[in-house]
Amino acid sequence: MSRAVLYASSPLLASKTPIWRSKFIVASIAIGFAVLAGRAIYIQVINNQFFKKQGELRFVRTLDLPANRGKILDRNGLILASSIVSPSVWAIPEDVEIDNADLVKLAKLLDMPVSELSKKLNDDDKSFVWLKRQVDALSAKKIESLGIKGVYFRNEYKRKYPEGDAAASLMGFANVDGQGLGGIELAFNQALAGHAGSRRVIKDRLGQVVENVGEQLPPTAGRDQQLSIDSKVQFFAYQKLRDAVLENKAKSGSVVVLDVVTGEVLALANYPGSSSGRQEGLNGAQLRNRALTDTFEPGSTMKPFVAALALDKGLVTPETVIQTAPGRLTIGGATISDAHPHGELTVNQVIQKSSNVGIVKIAMQMQSREMWTMFNQLGFGHKPQLAFPGVVGGRLRAYKSWRPIEQATMSYGYGLSCSLFQLAHAYSVFARDGELIPITLTKTNEAAVGVSVISPKNAIAIRHMLHMVTGDGGTAPKAQAVGYSVGGKTGTAHIQEGKGYANKKYRGFFVGMAPIEKPRIVVAVMIDEPSNGKYFGGDVAAPVFSETVQQTLRILGVQPDISVKPQIVTMAVEESF
Amino acid sequence: MTRLNIALFAAVLATMLYVVRTQYESRRLFVDIEKAAIDVRRLEIDNATLQVEKRAQATPLRIEKLAQERLHMRSATPAVTQYMRYDKDTPAAELAK
Repeated sequence: MSRAVLYASSPLLASKTPIWRSKFIVASIAIGFAVLAGRAIYIQVINNQFFKKQGELRFVRTLDLPANRGKILDRNGLILASSIVSPSVWAIPEDVEIDNADLVKLAKLLDMPVSELSKKLNDDDKSFVWLKRQVDALSAKKIESLGIKGVYFRNEYKRKYPEGDAAASLMGFANVDGQGLGGIELAFNQALAGHAGSRRVIKDRLGQVVENVGEQLPPTAGRDQQLSIDSKVQFFAYQKLRDAVLENKAKSGSVVVLDVVTGEVLALANYPGSSSGRQEGLNGAQLRNRALTDTFEPGSTMKPFVAALALDKGLVTPETVIQTAPGRLTIGGATISDAHPHGELTVNQVIQKSSNVGIVKIAMQMQSREMWTMFNQLGFGHKPQLAFPGVVGGRLRAYKSWRPIEQATMSYGYGLSCSLFQLAHAYSVFARDGELIPITLTKTNEAAVGVSVISPKNAIAIRHMLHMVTGDGGTAPKAQAVGYSVGGKTGTAHIQEGKGYANKKYRGFFVGMAPIEKPRIVVAVMIDEPSNGKYFGGDVAAPVFSETVQQTLRILGVQPDISVKPQIVTMAVEESF
Repeated sequence: MTRLNIALFAAVLATMLYVVRTQYESRRLFVDIEKAAIDVRRLEIDNATLQVEKRAQATPLRIEKLAQERLHMRSATPAVTQYMRYDKDTPAAELAK
């Protein structure tokens, strides 16, 4: 059923509405659209920063690109220190769900007490907590397999030192954030560290990088540093030193091996030393490189320098006879004595037998200024030019303040101080025919150029004296090496304690070179406070010198210069028919 | 006129779809590159780790210990070394003498 409606006759249509109404509506709608369009333009074109930023906040991520820390290599390219990736374990405490059994397992894998671990996990105030940084890969895998919710991993770099204890005091260490904190790691930190880079990327909902945004800043890897150290020489020096320190029940010991052709440091070992990478809980004494950072009175090892100066000034010749009887000499109320009275000695023998009286008589013929100048030229009293943290220069007082007795004691090594490294460096003067060469810790293939300190003729004369020290009637026959002629000087010094000298506390040294005719290396050995009966440098330090020289020259491929009784046994093979 | 418009409209549609596809493809390839880059990084890390491990296995300390204990060797000294002069021009037969 339908009913027709007569629209045309509707009274509503019949009423006359004013035309402006419809125009008004149309205009209102138009204005509305215009406002919308304006707003759209404003948002999208004129002031789009805010929304762009919001968009980026949701999708764009900045990734840090860490720089690899450079490797430290020995002179043959063998790794002494390198960074490897090591996972660190972290957690969001409020997300962690763990039962007691897993807690115990986790604590064991992290190598920490359960109480400490649960304290870390119950710290709900924090949204991030390191459980342990740099765990080994195997433990990390086991922890991962426990599948604990809220525990995560992050890859970090860990420094590895394959040489371990042998090179520890030289290498120093780098912390978990890759900053060098000691030794070579600190000395070359800037070059080793490199620069971290970064990149901005868009990640999708799965966390995958789908697009780069803006410019990328690639990381610059740290440069590898090649040292002058030979890891084999370093190891042998360390091994022989360790044996000697243990055998003599000494407090510590150090060895320095220098190549006097190039001026390179071949080994710098200390025992006891820290183990690199296990630096936590060690004190300064264990971490420092004593050969460079500790000073002491060098004792009789100073005598050859005084003799060299006397030869250079023309005061004596190697054959000049000096009366050392009765083995005592009084200067300004103080008495200087020899361990054994010797009678008449030539200058050669004064050095060979290490006579205090003899060397003092030579020293008192010269002016304090001359002695000071010589010592100063040899590097005593000022810091060696060596890139190593904590290097010290020792003490050499201005000659104007020297009293005669001080000039006398300085001639046999008391009243001034230096490091073992300085002593080795100074001895290179004799090895280099009178030249003092710069010493370096980085590899160089060029022969070093030095400055002349004493004449070549006198340097050779002193080498002859040093050779006599290691021969019959010398103080260090134990320094002799199989196959190589050696020369050197012993030193046995009382240890200073407070204002005086400790009773029965000694330091034994031996500094020498080989082969004596044409020296290739200088080796300095120090044994601190030996307490097993023997304490003379010729007894405790010379054997270390001997073995170090023998191994080092063999490794360097230097042919023996003295004949040895061959122990090569040839086996005859029965002739066959 | 209408035909031209339809053709243009179709062309616009086709290009639109192609743009979307290209964008998709480029993202897919980018993800592949990223994956490959991660692999490169992982391999580099493995390489570095293995290098260090290899070196740790070949330290003088370990070699000496093994040589002494397992192979009963001892350190060489000049007394047990035969020295020969090496000269490029010397024939091998001469050296053997």
